[in-house]
Formats: sequence, C-alpha cells, structure tokens
Amino acid sequence: MSYPTVYPTGATVYDPDRCWNGYTIYQANELGALLVDMNGACVNLWKGLHGFPNKMLPGGHVFGSLGVRNPAHSMQDQLDVVQVDWNGKVVWKFDKYERIEDPGEPPQWMARQHHDMQRTGNPVGYYVPGMDPQVDKGNTLVLCHKNVFNPKISDKRLLDDTFVEVNWKGEVTWEWACNEQFDSYGFDEAAKNILARDPNFRPPGGGMGDWMHINSMSLLGPNRWFDAGDERFHPDNIIWDSRESNIMAITSRKTGKITWQVGPNYDQTLALRKLGWIVGMHHCHMIPRGLPGEGNLLIFDNGGWAGYGVPNPGSPKGIKNALRDFSRVIEVDPLTLEIVWQYTPAEAGYMMPYDANRFYSPFISSAQRLPNGNTLITEGSGGRILEVTSDHALVWEYVSPFWGKQLALNMVYRAYRAPYEWVPQRDQPKQVPIPRADVTKFYVPGAAAPTTLLQETTVAGTQPYRNDSRVLCVASVDEMK
Amino acid sequence: MYTIYSSTGCTRCKIVMQRMHELGEPFEEHDIKAAGKEAFQQFYTANRKAIYRGPDGIEFPILTDGDSITQGLGPALARLQAGDRLRGFFRIGSLHKEWLDGIEVSGGGPEMAEDFLAVLRLLKKNAMKLQVSSDGRNAELLAAVLQQRLADKVIMTVLGPPQRYAELAGESIVEDEIGRSIQLVAGFAERQFQTVIAPVRGDDGGWRYLTPDEVGETAAWIERAAGSKQQPYLLRLFHNDGGNPDFAKLEPMNSSELFPYRSLARTYQVKTEIEREA
Repeated sequence: MSYPTVYPTGATVYDPDRCWNGYTIYQANELGALLVDMNGACVNLWKGLHGFPNKMLPGGHVFGSLGVRNPAHSMQDQLDVVQVDWNGKVVWKFDKYERIEDPGEPPQWMARQHHDMQRTGNPVGYYVPGMDPQVDKGNTLVLCHKNVFNPKISDKRLLDDTFVEVNWKGEVTWEWACNEQFDSYGFDEAAKNILARDPNFRPPGGGMGDWMHINSMSLLGPNRWFDAGDERFHPDNIIWDSRESNIMAITSRKTGKITWQVGPNYDQTLALRKLGWIVGMHHCHMIPRGLPGEGNLLIFDNGGWAGYGVPNPGSPKGIKNALRDFSRVIEVDPLTLEIVWQYTPAEAGYMMPYDANRFYSPFISSAQRLPNGNTLITEGSGGRILEVTSDHALVWEYVSPFWGKQLALNMVYRAYRAPYEWVPQRDQPKQVPIPRADVTKFYVPGAAAPTTLLQETTVAGTQPYRNDSRVLCVASVDEMK
Repeated sequence: MYTIYSSTGCTRCKIVMQRMHELGEPFEEHDIKAAGKEAFQQFYTANRKAIYRGPDGIEFPILTDGDSITQGLGPALARLQAGDRLRGFFRIGSLHKEWLDGIEVSGGGPEMAEDFLAVLRLLKKNAMKLQVSSDGRNAELLAAVLQQRLADKVIMTVLGPPQRYAELAGESIVEDEIGRSIQLVAGFAERQFQTVIAPVRGDDGGWRYLTPDEVGETAAWIERAAGSKQQPYLLRLFHNDGGNPDFAKLEPMNSSELFPYRSLARTYQVKTEIEREA
C-alpha cells in the first residue's frame, strides 16, 4: 500500500453546501478530547481527557474518562466514565464496577469501561433529531470488562465483555455477561477447538483471553421491525458486535438471551454469501428512527484479520482466520441481509482489488448516519475522517495531525458529528469551502513542479497505451466473481 | 438389621458398608444395578415420598432399619454414629465424586460436638473432601472443625444484620458468637460468605424481603468481624420450599433485582456478587 511520507492534515476537502455541517469530536491520540469545526479549527481541547470514545452531549458536555488502568494488568480498562462540561468540570462519574488492587498501584474502584457507552434518551450515542441524550439525569449503559473463567470456552482466564446499566447515582442496576451465552453463538467444532487453545490470549495481567472483544453496544430504539410485531427488535434490546469472532448480535434486555445474530460464519446461506464475510467489524448499530435509513444496520466492516475456525495459510492455527485487506461501510437490512448502501474502495473511486487497500482500517473505526443522508466515516488507523453523500461523493475530509509519542499513530477510534446547537458556548463558525486539490499539481517547497516537462521527446513507431484491468498481473474483482 | 440399597461401583455405598462391618452391624445389601433391582423398585414404590430424587437422580446409599430411612453418605454415617441425634448436622448434598456437602455445623446442639467430629474424621479417613456450612451458631465447634483440618471449604451463610438474626435463625442468638464464626471463616483459605435475601416481618406485620440497607448492614458486620472488605460474598435469591404458607404471597425475586443489594453491599465487601438464575 503506497502511503506518502508527506501529506496534508487537518481539513483537506470541504463542500459546505453538501455537508451536514457541525462540529466533530474525537480523541486525539495522547492529547485529549478534541472538538473541531468543519474547517478543522480546534474549537475546544479537553486536554488529557481520555475517551474510548468521546461523545458530545447537548450543552457542550462530553463523555470521556479520567484515565486508563495500567496496561501491565489489563487491556483497555478505562478507570471511569465521566461527563464533563464545556469548562472541564466533571458533572457525572461512574467507577464503582470493580474494586481493583493491582501490584504497585493504589487500590481503587474502576469502571473498566471500553469502546462504548450510551445515555438515556438516545440509543446510539450520536445526533438524532428528537432524541437528545439526557445530560442531568438518566441511566448510562456502559460496555465493561470482567475477568472470568468458563471451562466451556477455555481453561484460560478470559477477559469477558459485560453490559452494565448504571443509574444517575452511579449504581449498577443491570448487568449482562457475554460468556454466559456461549452456547448460543453457534461456534463450530473447529472454532471451539482453537478457542479452547487460544481465546485470543493477550499478555496483560499475566495473560487473559480477549475472546470476543466486543467494541460496539447500543440500543435498537424505536424501529419499524418491532412496530410490525417482530419482538426480536424490541427497542430496549441491545445490538453489539464482536471483532474477534465476527459476530453481530442482539441481546434481549429482558431475558439476556440472543434474539438475532449474524456470524460467525458467512457461507451457510445464500443471503450470507451475498452479504460477504464481515471481518473484524466495528460500530454495528441500527440507524435510529429519524435518520435516513432508519431500521437498517450500519457497520464498519474493517477487513483485517479476525475469526476462529479452520487453519489456512494466513492463519496456521485457525485464529484470526478470516483475512481481507480493505474495508467497507455497509448498510444492511437486518431481515433480508441485503446490502442497501455501501461505501467500499470501489465507491471511493479506487480500482479493486489493486488499490482496494486505499480504503482500509484493520482496527477501530466507525460510521455515523447524518440527518441529510450523508455518512460520516472514521477510517481510524490513519486518522482519517470523511463525510460522503449517499451517492458516494466525498464532501469533507479531515486527517488528524496528532501522532502519539507512546504509540506512533495518528489513529482515531471514533469521530462523531454534533450539531452546532449542542455547543451554545460558541457562535456558529464560518464555513469556508476547501476545494479538492489536484494532487498532480500539489507539491512541497523545494520540489520541482512534478508535471512540468523540461523536455518532451517523440519516439517514432510507438503504439497507444492499452490499459485494461483484464490483463494486469492479478485478476480484477469482476473476474474473480 | 439394616438394609442398604447400593449401586454397583458406588464408593459412598462402600464407605457405609465398611463402617457397618467395623461396628459389627449386620446388614443386607441390595445392589440396584444387579440382583437388588426388583427389591429396590418395591421399596421405592412403597416409600417414594421419603426418598429424595434430585436433578441428577437418587442419591445412594439408602439405609433403612425398617422404621427410618436415611439417604446419602453423611446422613448414613451420622445415623450409624449416633442414631437420630445428629440428624440436623447432616443432610443430602449436591456435590459428587470426592466432594461432600450437606454438612451443617450449626445444625444441632453443641453437646453433639464429639459425635459430629467423629463422623467428619471418618469421612476424611475415606479421602472425602468436605464442604461444611455454618450460619454462625456453634462457633466453637466450627473452630474445632477448622483446627482439626476437617473441612476443605467453608460456606458461611450470614443470615442478615444483627437485629434480624434471631428472627431469621428461628431462635435467640449470641451476636458475638456469630462474629466469632465470621472471623474463623475469614481466616480459612477456601471460603464463601453468602446471604439469602430472605423474607422477614415488616413493620406492618406483613412479610417482605430483606432490604438493600439490611444487606448492607450485613456486609458491614462481615467487614467488622473479619477485619476485611475483601471477603468473597454472594447474595442469593430466596427459593420458597413451601415450609411457610405465608411466603406463597411473596412475589419471587429475580437476579436483576439484586443489583441494588450488591451496590450497597459493595461499600463494605467489594467482592460482593449476585447469584445468577440458571
């Protein structure tokens, strides 16, 4: 994959007339929670405020966390979930999930939150007209970690994922643990065998199996499926995805049972084969009522490496045995599994498969549906956030300029677009178009103009170029179909 | 003369028969998987109500002298040791293989201590691993059990806060004795504290469940007596066994209703967990 050493960061493309304009919040690597405007100006940096993710709330408030547990002892455990106001005051906090005593660290209560949280009033944690999350009351649904042993899965200690509902006083009022539904997930014998041997064993804390790695958890909210009588899609039910197993599922809030599931395998029915393998996905959620596409699922299908099953050359043991080197954002009908809309390298204008990895983030990332039908996509590993229209036009692009020192990445886990009115502390910023630069004429100081010819020489007898994807060294996607 | 109903290969049955040999106690054996099948069927038909059938089947051995029927290893040895006098201390358990439970330290009067300990020694001599239970009464007997290494795991049910204890135990108690038991259990490696969210009398005279505040006070008592906030502590649902007809009017609780209890209890016992429904 060709990636230039020098490239512009910040806002690089902006068409104000076609965007759904607002602020964008994201966790700038090793810096803090950062709110930028459409021209990339840093409107507010909540310095040092962690966020996995950061989410805006009305009134200029933001979700985040004050710190993270020492990674020597566990993975990605945020110490707490906090709600912080515009000026940095913590107005709400949850940390009383587990009392932790790590060697060499002060004992403390921790939330062990990771990857997601939701507040009453809004099912998905991003702007939906008429569904504002509550800021001075309400419950918070938090995605947490818990260490368990489950001999059905493995003899190794597991890092399980739990959904925890917390009231305004910070008390846990409901809890669901992923490992307790193991029998429901449909792992075949090959998957169970490799899971037992290696449940994605990671080093922290002396070792623990991050067997599912759930990275997205949201409510279904009101939806047409439930209105039509399908109880599986009760508005209180919770949809989630597991990047390690390639499973997307819905948990009944009432019974804790799984009411709907896709994965871990994608070759068992015609509908699944047409859908194609979803690998290492992020941010699977139901588009809420009030947004274009409501009722469909929106998924960032990372590609990369994930899954448990039969060994293959790319996965000698059968762990992370599904592989793909490009990403796609897909909008899927949850009943028929038909892809209703998608943004893949092809829609991004790249030839597939040759240039497919130009739209690719093998980890993190997200997709948010906007009220005008556009989609805000976080292509996280490269810190790129883009807004595309329903007909796939790129109307906004931003690249994070913040590389970490501990991790030399400008990664963005998830970015969210929030309406201007959620930040009453600021006047609406100017919206200045940024036309898409012609890269063939875009060069840095000191370099020669790259397309200016000092000499052009004619060679007699040359034939016209005959470029045809059918005769490139590798087959095109159409040929492979 | 005793009749023992056994099952081929049943180690627990062999332990009981060996004990009867040692005591010179004559008995007749019916192996239900061999020649004794029909005899057991007749016996079972005639005494169905007196024989416990659990989720895993009928627990053997079953011992009868024609008047009484005793089922399970612990109860059978207790019967051979002291007749009826150890009845409250041993009941049918739920554990299998080398593990034996249903051993209730608080199940009877302290005057039976020696006989109780004798049965435990016999079980240990036969390589059994013993899970003993206590609700805090008979603290000195518990001390003897632990000191003589006659337990491999201890489950202490702390019935409730001090002011509710007598009501929940069904008799007067000595608060210090309960505290002493808590202290003893807290010092044992394989231990578990638990409280059942049981029915108690409300101020209006009606029945209600222990409140989260009351469970919080219970957890605080464990902290005071144990000197530690780190005790493994399980909150359990009440299962109505029909013993008190008044309880039928109480709506059964489910696991999700235990979260407020857990939140309060964790102020004093940070490892508090709740029982999950199967």
